[in-house]
Amino acid sequence: MEKRRISRILARASKEQVRSLADAVKATHSPVIVKAPEKSLAMVRMREPVRESLFHLGEVIVCEAIVDLDGAKGVAVLMGDDFEKVLDMAVIDAACNKGVFAGYGELERLEKEQTLRLEKENAMFLQTMVSFQSMDSEVAP
Amino acid sequence: MAYVAVSGGEEAIEASIRLLSYYRSGTEKDLELEVIQEKMSLLVDRVMSEAGLYSKTYAALALKQCEGSSDEAVFLLRAYRSTLKRSYDSLVADTRDMRLVRRISAAFKDIPGGQMLGASYDYTHRLMDFDLQREDAAALCQKMHQTVADQEPVEIAPCGRVSDELKTEGLIDRFEQDNEEPYDVTQNLLEFPVPRSARLQTLSRADTGFISGLAYSVLRGFGQVHPTVGELRCGYVEIEVPYLEDAAESLWIGEILLTDVEVFNEADDKDQLKLACGYGAVMGRNENKAIAMAVLDHELDTTGDYPTQNDEFVLLHGDSLEMNGFISHLKLPHYVTFQSKLDAVRKTRRERHDG
Repeated sequence: MEKRRISRILARASKEQVRSLADAVKATHSPVIVKAPEKSLAMVRMREPVRESLFHLGEVIVCEAIVDLDGAKGVAVLMGDDFEKVLDMAVIDAACNKGVFAGYGELERLEKEQTLRLEKENAMFLQTMVSFQSMDSEVAP
Repeated sequence: MAYVAVSGGEEAIEASIRLLSYYRSGTEKDLELEVIQEKMSLLVDRVMSEAGLYSKTYAALALKQCEGSSDEAVFLLRAYRSTLKRSYDSLVADTRDMRLVRRISAAFKDIPGGQMLGASYDYTHRLMDFDLQREDAAALCQKMHQTVADQEPVEIAPCGRVSDELKTEGLIDRFEQDNEEPYDVTQNLLEFPVPRSARLQTLSRADTGFISGLAYSVLRGFGQVHPTVGELRCGYVEIEVPYLEDAAESLWIGEILLTDVEVFNEADDKDQLKLACGYGAVMGRNENKAIAMAVLDHELDTTGDYPTQNDEFVLLHGDSLEMNGFISHLKLPHYVTFQSKLDAVRKTRRERHDG
């Protein structure tokens, strides 16, 4: 599973759900904190559609942590300041890198749950889709 | 202008700072950050946008700390931001991929993907709702959760831009992707003429009132353009940063809500064969600011004598922190400078009287 996908599932998951996955790793391994969670900034880069050039929209507050699990490094970065969650995410990343993470099934279950919630929210927004009654053509002949 | 250090008043200043709490003490009820964040979200969005820092929780805290003053809250967030190092630049985010919650066009009624009104006060009657004086917040929260739960899920599909169609028809210029390193106004002073990236970043974090007023002046005739909103979209953009251990991977760190606008303008070439565009993008739901930004973006591409066609005028006077700081400094003691002004007036009066 790609890092992007794993981190998205974990970022969207609750702190408790992430803790549960990290606790399962910690039950059999002893991760060591290499870099304790701390706050920093990430600058958001965007592409604008007029000239297709890049610009900086602004910054977001992130927290990050690095752990070592039997020689495998685990890195996590997360928007916000939830130090416990980002540390647990780093433990899970290290377990993935070490090849000892056994929670992929749970990650897929969480992802399905998250997608379902977002798709239901999407359905609610789509109820505001406009259906125009056309009286004449807006396209010039 | 001369500045002279004065001393004294320390105790009074300390008492003044303590007195600020008095203005927040009129009730025994606390204003929880979650409440500010969830129920004053447009104000939170404005503060985040003007601070150039996306953090709903900290914006809510700043607003609580300063009794809801948006410019003080911006000041607090900017000051806090300056204590943090920047560890990452995100991968390039593109609003084409955003998870939409609103998308409208004033240029075409039929747009690919359709027009979705989302949530907007535009269609309300602006009548006071006195029932909100005694609202059951818990019931509202549960009701909306249930409403979402009852929906039939619909797959989320990104929507192409309205301008993409016009580019295909050749009615708008199409540019190749430009990956030149963008300018960063948080780390460099503006030097004129500024690159486009500096213009967009500066406008995006400008004071909402300032750029709305400037855009209004353009529309009223003190400018060259009266644009049409080709597309206004509001939604969530996913933010990723590089994964440091493997360049082929990335980490998804969260998503931010933003408003994105493209305006179409009268042709800017002499034969009038094409449309010109302006672009605006701001953090949060702040449609008028995004539209104003797009108006000014194009206006700054034109030449003329209006203030809004002058980069320096537009970009140097709209930063909330700078403009409020400078205006605020007028309250600081100017005893010596004022005394010299007074002396000059007295001297002139004496000379006229004696003469």
